[in-house]
This record gives sequence, C-alpha cells and structure tokens, in this order.
Amino acid sequence: MKYDALVVGSGIGGMESALKLGDMGYKVLVVEKAPSVGGKMILLSKVFPTLDCASCISTPKMAATIHHPNIDVLTYSEVQSIRSDGNGGYHAQIRQNPKYVDEAACTGCRQCEMACNVAVPDEFNADMVSRRAAYIAFPQAVPKKAVVDRAGVSPCTHECPAGIKAHGYVARVRSGQYDEAFELVLESTPLVGSLGRACYAPCEEQCTRGELEGALPIRQLKRFIADRRYGQEFQPSPEAPESNGKKVAVVGSGPAGLTAAWQLARKGYGVKIFESAPQPGGMLRLGIPAYRLPNEVIDDDIANVTSLGVEIATQTRVEDAQGLLYDGYDAVLVAAGTHRSVRLRVPGEDKQGVTTALEFLRAVKLGEDVDLAGKQVLVVGGGNVAIDAARTARRLGAGSVHQASLESCDEMPAHDFEVEEAKAEGITLHDGWGVAELTGGERVQGAELKRCTCVFDADGCFAPEYDEKMRKQLECDVVIVAAGMGADTEAFGLETNPNRTLKADPGTLQTAVPQIFAAGDVVTGPTMITQAVGQGRRAAFMIDRYLEGTELDPAAFEEFLPRVDKLEVLRRQDVYDRREPLESSETMSAAPIDFAETEATMTEEQALDSTARCLDCGVCSECHACVDACPADAVKLDMRPEEMEVDVTSVVLATGFKLFPADAKPEYGYGRYRNVITGMQMDRLLAPTRPFNSVVRPGDGKVPDNIAYIMCTGSRDATVDNPLCSRICCMYSVKHNQLVMGALPLADVTVHYMDVRAVGKGYDEFYQQAKDMGAVFIKGRVAKITEKEDGNLIVRYEDVEGDGGVVEAEYDMVVLAVGVQPNLEVAGLFEEGSLALDEYFYVGEADEDIDPGRTNLPGVFVAGAASGVKDIPDSILHAGAAVAQAAAHVEKLKAKEEPKAKEESKAKVTV
Amino acid sequence: MSARKIGVYVCQCGGNIGDYVDVDRVVEAASKEPGVAVAKTAMFTCSDSTQQEIVADAREQGLDGLVVASCSPKLHTYTFRDVARRADINPFQYTQVNVREQCSWTHTDDHEGATEKALRLVRAGINRTRLTEPLESIVVETTPQSLVVGGGIAGLRAALGLAQIGLSVFLVEKEDRLGGWVSEFKEMYPHGRNGGELVTQLESAVRAHPDITVFTSAELIAKSGSFGNYQATIAIQGERLETIQVQVGSIVVATGFDTYQPADGEFGYGQDGVITIAEFKKLVEASSGPLEYNGRPVKTVAYVYCVGSRQPQYEEGANTYCSRYCCNAATHASLQVNALPGRVHQYHFYRDMRTYGSFELLYAESLEKGSAYVKYPDEEPPTIEKDPQSGRLTVTARDLLSEGEELALDADLVVLVTGMVPRENQGLTKALKLPVGQSGFFNEIHPKLRPVETVVDGVYIAGCCQAPRNSSESVQSGLAAVSQSAAILKRGFAELDPLVATVDLDVCEWCGACQDTCPYDAISQDQHAGKEVAVIAKTACKGCGGCVPVCPVGAIDLQGYTDAQIRSMIDGMLGVGV
Repeated sequence: MKYDALVVGSGIGGMESALKLGDMGYKVLVVEKAPSVGGKMILLSKVFPTLDCASCISTPKMAATIHHPNIDVLTYSEVQSIRSDGNGGYHAQIRQNPKYVDEAACTGCRQCEMACNVAVPDEFNADMVSRRAAYIAFPQAVPKKAVVDRAGVSPCTHECPAGIKAHGYVARVRSGQYDEAFELVLESTPLVGSLGRACYAPCEEQCTRGELEGALPIRQLKRFIADRRYGQEFQPSPEAPESNGKKVAVVGSGPAGLTAAWQLARKGYGVKIFESAPQPGGMLRLGIPAYRLPNEVIDDDIANVTSLGVEIATQTRVEDAQGLLYDGYDAVLVAAGTHRSVRLRVPGEDKQGVTTALEFLRAVKLGEDVDLAGKQVLVVGGGNVAIDAARTARRLGAGSVHQASLESCDEMPAHDFEVEEAKAEGITLHDGWGVAELTGGERVQGAELKRCTCVFDADGCFAPEYDEKMRKQLECDVVIVAAGMGADTEAFGLETNPNRTLKADPGTLQTAVPQIFAAGDVVTGPTMITQAVGQGRRAAFMIDRYLEGTELDPAAFEEFLPRVDKLEVLRRQDVYDRREPLESSETMSAAPIDFAETEATMTEEQALDSTARCLDCGVCSECHACVDACPADAVKLDMRPEEMEVDVTSVVLATGFKLFPADAKPEYGYGRYRNVITGMQMDRLLAPTRPFNSVVRPGDGKVPDNIAYIMCTGSRDATVDNPLCSRICCMYSVKHNQLVMGALPLADVTVHYMDVRAVGKGYDEFYQQAKDMGAVFIKGRVAKITEKEDGNLIVRYEDVEGDGGVVEAEYDMVVLAVGVQPNLEVAGLFEEGSLALDEYFYVGEADEDIDPGRTNLPGVFVAGAASGVKDIPDSILHAGAAVAQAAAHVEKLKAKEEPKAKEESKAKVTV
Repeated sequence: MSARKIGVYVCQCGGNIGDYVDVDRVVEAASKEPGVAVAKTAMFTCSDSTQQEIVADAREQGLDGLVVASCSPKLHTYTFRDVARRADINPFQYTQVNVREQCSWTHTDDHEGATEKALRLVRAGINRTRLTEPLESIVVETTPQSLVVGGGIAGLRAALGLAQIGLSVFLVEKEDRLGGWVSEFKEMYPHGRNGGELVTQLESAVRAHPDITVFTSAELIAKSGSFGNYQATIAIQGERLETIQVQVGSIVVATGFDTYQPADGEFGYGQDGVITIAEFKKLVEASSGPLEYNGRPVKTVAYVYCVGSRQPQYEEGANTYCSRYCCNAATHASLQVNALPGRVHQYHFYRDMRTYGSFELLYAESLEKGSAYVKYPDEEPPTIEKDPQSGRLTVTARDLLSEGEELALDADLVVLVTGMVPRENQGLTKALKLPVGQSGFFNEIHPKLRPVETVVDGVYIAGCCQAPRNSSESVQSGLAAVSQSAAILKRGFAELDPLVATVDLDVCEWCGACQDTCPYDAISQDQHAGKEVAVIAKTACKGCGGCVPVCPVGAIDLQGYTDAQIRSMIDGMLGVGV
C-alpha cells in the first residue's frame, strides 16, 4: 500500500495534520494506538479561554477524520518501525493489535461491556472509576466499536493441562454466575465435580495472588460451582446436538475417554465407550478414595456425558482396537489408562497378605468387603497412590499403618499437603527406607527395611542406592505395594513403546493405524487427571478433524496468547489491599473411621470473597460472557495481531505528550492521600461524560467546598529533572477555577502558583476573569501536603506575598496541576539514534526559526506537542506548519518522478 | 398530513441538554408533528454511532428531511449536512435547532420552561424543514494562486511554502524592502539565530522562486470576486502610482504588529536613560565593550515589565492582553548583557514571569547569572523618577517577594519592556472586510481550532496581526495559512453554500434598494424582458439576507430561508397550527 503521508497519532495535532493533507488531495494513513481517535483533547471538560465543550468541538474533527475520503485510519494499531526507502520516502511497519471484535459487525451497542465480568481502572477517566475488559473507550469514541482488552493469558488458565479457562470461571463466580461458570468448565470437560475435588490444581501454584497473601482456591471454586449445580433439583441436560452420522468408539472411561467422548458427542458424533471395569470412571472410580472423591460426584460428572447419548458398555474388555473399525466405527480412541501395577521385586512379594495399591483401592471403591480391623498395615511407596492406600487402610480400621518410602519426606512424589494429612491421620512414615525383604511364612508377617541413600541418579533416573548395613524390622500382616503403575497394552494389537505405553504422535495422538487414536495415561504413562483430560480434548479435536478430512495440525488445537508476566501484573498497582486467603476447611481426625469427605464445599460467601481476590492478570478472563452477549456475533477471541507494511512519501509524527506522574512528587501524597487528584482527573470530574455527575472528592464522595490547586507539579522543578515550564497547566487550572465555581457556587478555590503564565490570545483576560469570579491566587511553591483523618489536607507553604513565614492551610481537596513529559516511544520508531531529539527528549526541530515542524530526517515532520508542549491552538498552528512542509516534500518527490518539463507557470498578471 | 418524511434527533449532549430539558417529552411531541417519520434521542448526536444510526434510519425510512436539535449551528451544521449527504438526504434539507446555547444553558434554573422552549424550537425547525427544497452546492473552480500581504518573516515563509506546494504567489509589501521587524534583529532567542540573516536567506529563496512575484512599496487596496476567485487590486508606488489586478484563490494576511510606544512620561519615558526594550536590544547588540548609554557607563539596569500590556480592564482603551513575547525577550536581553565585558547589575520588575515552555531555561539562566527579580503588585506599578540635580534615575516599587517591602533602586538605565500593539491597517481591514477583535488584532474564526481562518472564506491571518507571538511562532502560523490555502486550492474547485438570495425577475422593478444594502457587492443591474432588474452573483452573495426586507415589491427570497419558511418557523414557535 502506498500513501502520501503517514500520520502517527490522532490527537488534535494528528487529526489537523491528516485533515489538511486529505483536503489537499493527498492520501493519508493515520495510525492510532488507542481504540478511538481524539487523543487527550476529547477527554477534557472544556477548553480555555473560550470554554467550548471539548467533546463538542472535538467530535466533528474526529468524525471528519474517520470519514474523509482521502484518509484511512487504523485505530488500536502501532507503528513498529519507519525506515527510509532510499528514494526520499519511507517504509512503515505497522501492527494492528487485535480488537477481538469484528469491527464491521460491531454496532457499538455495549452489550459486551455490560456482560463483561472483569473491571479494570478506566484510563479514559484518569483511573478514577473502572471500565470493563470488553469496552468502548468513551461515549464519543470514533469509531464507536468495542475492543476486548487482553494482556495475554492469565497464568492460571495458561497452566491448566486440561485447557480449562480457570480465570474465566473465577470471574463468572465473582459475578454470581455460577451456572455459567459451570458451563464454561464444561466447554473443556464434563468432569467438573471430580476435578473440583481431586485435581492437584497446578493453576493455584501459578496464581499471581500467591505472590501476595496466597493463591486463590481455584479448585475449590470449581467444586463450589459443581456442587451447586449437581445439588439443584432440576438439572437441565445440555441439548444433544444433531447427529452427524459418524460413530466413534472410545476404549476406557477414565478422564481422557470421558472428556473425548463428551467433546465428540457435542459435535454430533455417535460415541460408545467400552469399559472393562464394572463401573465407569477409570481411575476416578477405581483409584481415588471416596473421602477425596465420592462415587456420587463421579456419577454426576458421567451423567453429563451420557445425557448427550453417549453409551457406556461396562465390563466390556476390548481385545482388538482395529476390530472396532470393522464393527462400523469410523474412528477409535484408546484411552485405557495405566492399570498394571509395577512389582517391588523383593523376596517375599508373593506371600499372602501382600497386595498392590491399585487392587486394594479398586476393591474398596467397588464396595468389596475388605476388612483390616486390627491389622498392622505397611504401605510401600511415596506417591499419591501410596498415601491414598495408607489413608484408606486407616479408615478400614487397621491397628497401625506404616508407610515406607524410598524418598525422604521432601522428595516424595506425593504432594506435601497429602503427606501432612496422612501424618495427621496417624500414619507412621518411614521416609528414606526401602523394602529389603518381606518376611513370614505363607502369610506375610513383617518387613525388613533398608536405608535408601539416594533414589535418583545424576540424570534424574530412578536408580535407588542403599546402605545395606542399615536395616530395621517392622511387624505387619498386610503389605500394600504402591510402586508405580504402567500401561497394559498388549491386548490392543497396536504398536507400543518400550515402556509398554501406546505409540501415538504426541501432537495429533494418531497411532500408526490412521483411524485409531490414543490418549491419556496409556500414551503418556501415569500423570494427573488434568493432563488426561487435556489429552482427551486433544484427541477429540484431532478425531473430528480426521473425520472431517481436515489436516491434523497440532498447532491448530489450542493457540494461546502469551502468558501474562506476573511481575507486570503486580506492577500495575503500587499497593494491593490485603485480602486474606481462604482458610482450610479440611477436618482431620487422628483416627478416621469412615470415608466421609474431609473437605467441605465452600460457602457462597467464601466463594465470593475468594474470587474478589483475583487480580485479573490477563485482563480479559476468557469467560466468554461477551461472546454470549453480542447480538452481532462480533466478538472473536481468536483474532491475532496483523502486521502490514506501507510505503509512505512523508511522515508526520503527532505522538503528543505524557502527563507527569504525580506520584513522583511524594511530598504531595498523590496515590496515598485519597483527596489529592491531578488536573486531568479534575477535567474528567467536570466533563460532560463525568464519572460521578458532580465534582466530588474521590475519597468519600463529599462535595468539596474548599479546593486548592498546586501549580507547577512536576514542572520548573529540578528535583524531578524537569526544568521546563509545562505551559498548559496555568491555563487549564484557571479554566477549572471557573468551571468549579460554576459547578459548586459555594466552593472556595485557591491557587498556589509560581507565575501565572497566561500567554495567548485572550488568556490573560481569562485569568483576570477567574480572579474576578473569586479565585484566590497565592504566590509560592507548596512544600508538603499532609492528610488529616477526615481526608482533609494540610498544605504547607511559604507565604511569600503575605506576611512571610511558613503557613499551613486546610483544604478538603487538592488538585495537582501536573505538567507534561515527552513521549519517548517515538524515537524508537526509527533506526537507532537517527531521529534527533532535543536535550529534553522531545522530537527535535532542525530549524525551528524557518522550518518549524521539520525534523532532521528529510520527509519526516513533527506536529504539535511531540516537539515540546503546546496548547491546542499552538498545536493546530504547528500541525499546519508541519503539513505545509510535508506537502512540499511530496510535491518535490512527485516532480522528481515526473521529470517532464513543467509548463511555464509564472503567474498571470493583468494590469 | 404532510407527505414529507422527516427524521428528528434530539441530543442530550451528555448532560448539557438532558440535565435541563426533558428530552423524551420533546421527542414525544416531535413525533406527532406532521411529516415526522422518525423521532429519537441520543446521548451525543454528533457521535459516530448516532451518525450511523441516522444514516441507517434514513435509508430504511426513505427520509427526505433531517432535524437535529442539539447545539449551536456554528458547531455542527457541517457535521450533519455531511451525515445527510451520506444518508442520501439533500444536505440543505437539514435544519439544526439550537437547544443548548439558546435553551438548556440559558435556563438551567427552569427545567419546565426549558423543555417548553425546546419543544417550540424543535417544532419551528420541523416546520422549516418541511418547506425545504433540495438545493445543490455552487461549485466554483478555484484559482491556484495566492496573495500574501506582508513581507515580514511570516509572509516570506508563507509565500515560499505556497510556492513549494505548487501554488503561484504574489507577495505584497508596503515598505520598499522585504523582511519586516525580524530583519532588524540580530540575536534572537532561543537559538541565537541572527534575524537579519534568516530573513536574507528567506528573501533570496523567495526572489529566486519562479512562482513567486514580489511587489514592494505596494498595498492591497481592494478585493472583489468571491471565494476561490478573488480579484485583488494592488497599488504599487513606483515612479508613478500604478494599479494592477491579480486573480487569486486565497489571501494570506501577515501584516505584523507595531511596538507599544510609551506616552511621554509613562514610566519616565522620554527622560534620558529610560528606553524601550527594542531600543535597548539595539544598544546591547551594538556594544562590544562594557555597556554604555550616551557615553555613560551602565552599571545598573532596571527592567520594568508589562509596559503597554496587561493594563487594567477598567481603563478606557487599555491593552488588557499579555504580549507573550516580552518576558522572553527581556530575559534574553539580560543574558546578552551578561555576555558583555564588565559587571552590570540587572533588576527585573515584573508581575508574572511568563517564560513559557522551554523559554523557562532563559529565565533560569538569567537568575543563575545574577539577575534579580522584583515582583510588583498588579495594581501598583513601579514609579520612575529622575533627580534633577544628580540626574540619577530611581525606580520605586513594592517587592511582593520581600513581604511587600518598598524598594528604591538607583539605576543607570531603565528599560521599559514594551509589548506589541496591532498595526494601523484601516485600508486593508476595509478592503478585506476583516473583523478586528477587542484588542485590535485581526480576529480568527475560532481561537481554539481555527486560529488562521477568518469569517471571510479564503482569507487567512498569520503572524502577529492575529495576536502577539515570537518569530518562530509567526512562521508557524504563516505555514498554517499555507496549509489552509492548499486545502482549498489544491483540489482546483470549491463548493459554496447555495443559501443565497434569488430575484424573481418578473416581479422585480429595479429600484436599486437591494444593491445599496448589499455589503458584498453581489447585486448588479441588468436587463430582463425589456426592463431593468436586479441580478445577484451567487458566488459573491453570502446569504446574509439583508436585501430581502428592503425590496419594496417582495421580489427577493433567500434560498433555504424563504419568507414562507421563516413564517412557518414563527408559527411553530407560537404554536399556531400549520
């Protein structure tokens, strides 16, 4: 694409530049970072000295800019780089940031904004109120289109192996949308209740709040929404979609199989699950004890799947996966899990009374009669399964339960909290001990343990070393071995790995037989439930693509935005209010007697308190409320940045300025004192689109009646490295004075000033007018502000014009007339160091006296405050100067391109 | 019932209107007026989304008239004409009703009354719209030539800028040489550039450019024609006075300023040792050794700021404005003094130091180099007295920075920091019909957003004739005027409002009353069907309507504001049935 001019920035200087060039007939591209054109001017209340409403005089310019036939505008876009094309023009690299909203379809109705569950500080209201993550910048935005603010993926969501939108359901719960939260989890998996209990919650480890007082109880929130949903009498079953006529067989009804079946059924596939066990659920049913995961919860989760018409054939062992294809299935998914126990390989392992944890837990979970009353039980192993077995044994009345683990307490693969819980339930832990031999006659009677000195070798492989001399004896009559488990795949007739897991492509999960896919632990070896769920989702996605005839692209499965940097999240705010994490609801007994759940469901109050602690790391939580709410179907969360390169003949930099960060003057207390605000905040309080519909103190909503202005905040001030005068602050303060006195006729206004710089047409008269209206001007710099308990502020200053000495005055609100700073981003657009800046880092003008607005780079011009602070009329004039020269540059290059002799153009004179 | 299909949109303007006028009631009433097909309210009617809504409504309902009740037509007439155009409604079948400046803002204490007034204003607007006819803009081919009046730095740079964009330029300068004030300056703040050299550089570029014709000792004495095609008459004083005419599409007025000349005795002016800043600058720049005045060494200089500026409003003919450049100029001059050999004590008697923006650095440097600053009260300017015996000058003032202590300073030289005043330009003002503001400088159309445009289309003001400013700022506004000129001339044509007066030639009985009243010389006498009649040049007519009521036979009507329309509006206002 080719343009005569690229205008960077669409504040008043940028708009004026674009409009004038457009009127002259040049093709102009405007690139604006914000979602709307208008810059800072549109945010102002009124303008000095005319007191025109800033919105009223800006909006026509904004609309004209957008609608001009010669002007293209890219909002929410950034110029990445500008480099010379060697012929007097430039190549500009531009990135259009995704708005996540189809601009053509969006009608600006704000339904998404109303539905959005995330609130963040509203930068368009100077952070005084909140806006939503899905939002329209401000009521007069041009274009009036929504954007979804996404900083990236929240760490919790990013971490979830199951691909559950953790942040999303937290945000839904926060808004009391419990059913919607449940539905959001259902988008990933039907196992809401099971994961709400038995998931090890890797999300919580990533929670940014964990860097403060402690992570959010994300898992328990899932349990809360599941219990609430399952506890309701009426359970609307999701409508079964129309059948697409294709059939898929799933071997195994564990987390991977159930999730895959669910996902496929929702796409219209006819799915049948084959399960060898008497009850469906895989490890959920057979491996996890009921005190952690009751059967009813598994039943409820599975009902989600069967309500879609998925059939589950239990006690049906599949011998030959390929055979299912002959039975009429279009595809087969093998998700059979890892149900083979690894043996200890020690003498005495075959004695009676020795069993494996899997067999033991399965028998208990299936309700078989297992009596351990008074027995002395030894559990061998240090993993989660071993702990489960030990705690189960305790509940079956065992006289004592010992657990021997090769690893020391710190190294044990079981989670710390589980080890703690096991200890609390009276289990004796022998950590760092391995079994040398199981002793006894036919029945086991004891165990000889030997000291394990090292479990893993230098490569981290399992290679235990022992101190054979250190031994101890334990009496026991039951030994439960939890030495690991593996896949039992011989039966499927498929290619396997050396460790007997199934061979499948890790990205597509396809096996060597194209119609057969494999997922879950049978492929990966034993993992956690969430990983199996993730595998199930992936398999369903791939099977669907395979049967649709689409390419099996692993990257297409789930494309995440980059994960948000936690530090960046923490940096968003200086301080976060302390919010205590949820206390544990675990009820532990030293001698548990039944399989009642040890953890209680959180109360609604706890759920709301907990979700209120969420920091909304990714800004957008991906809760999909906007997607559901949009009547135009315009929200597209899969949009991604688009890069484009344009050729331009000239460049106009209209990147404006930044406001001085008021907290850089700590003696004025901005950010700490509730009723100290900045000039821009006062402009917002006075604007027609004002947030509170009145001028109020932000601290307590009180209407102030005694307001002070502190001039030169951050200007003419060596302590903040800015010796320059910011030029606009005197006048905007004088404007505020008049507007405040209009809005609050009883309010007193005092201005602490150094010099009132009313330079400009009609400005001094405007200043006199403020004085005549009653504004009091006190000469002298303010040294310090302190806050009183009632929120009032004590301003300490030297009374230069009065009787001298240090004086303190009390006000109920203080406005800091903050100055300006250069926008440093602009220099980075050009090859390093090529764009000359002045000594205060504003864009330099090569010859301000003759060619104001011309930079050191030929064809690159600067318009408005980017070259040094300017008020609106001076920005307009400066922009006019810049574009007159930009046009001349374009003409010069055109003339070069068309070297045909220019016709005699000397003006005609009639005498 | 009316066959018209009019859309009525009543704006809330945030709370500007909605807080005082019951907008829903106005919409409700408007919807019942004959010919109204759509009546709605909007938070900001001017916002892009509402504009799009209007376009959608118009297309859907086939609207043929549009009424927007919002703010002053000065703000949004063009906005909504453009909306109408996009909505396939003739832009001249749109009426803007002012329910803000003329209603909500003026009746903030009476919501009921404001609502009732808004109802009537909207009804009047609907009535007017009902009687509109589709009109077409008058398309005028424009002349790609410009006239720049004034050969100071702003005018020179403007002339060059216009030529560089491809427009031919006539540059007219009253003096016999180009360069204006700046050509007399040596070192200028803040970059230390030599004004004379800058001007020489610009002048040679101007003279060398094939598309620029320079006339010195020349004045613009008359302008005729209309927007885009003005005939400018230039009087050139050569060996004999010669008059030429040039055809131009735009005129850039850059006639500069005069310096304030203190009256005799004002701050001691007229006495030996009391001089203006301009005189002082020349003295300093002519010095190479220690500063001397009239052969006497100068050891102490007192600057008195705001002479001729920021004068009290209650004084007749006072210059109430701030001259903007003088604080910078005086601090800069004091730095030049610092650079001379020998030590000079410098005291600045000021009110507010207005070294705005980066000029603050000048002020900071002067403080660093030893200048002392004394802030005198606004209402108590310093007095300057000369001892008749010793001839010493004494400046007396109260210093607000020392608790109002009275200070008497003996000075060798008192420098009156004088401001700018508008230049006497009556001939030009009259020839161009340029409006002059309260302070005597030319008035722009909107001080905030349209600082170089005037109410006369195609006539722009640049540099200090609009308001005091420094050299670089004058150049900026000169170039801004270039952009404005190019914006209307580069396309080669311009569109004018068809809201002009028309004569019913059958009724007209030529009496000349209309011609006498026309301020734009748009009416001439002609023949029609064997009789003398008035004809109106539509490109010259500004649609002021002045001729309509003076016609004794009612032969003239103003398009867009016909008598019938005005009557219908009055009826609407009074609530008389249609």
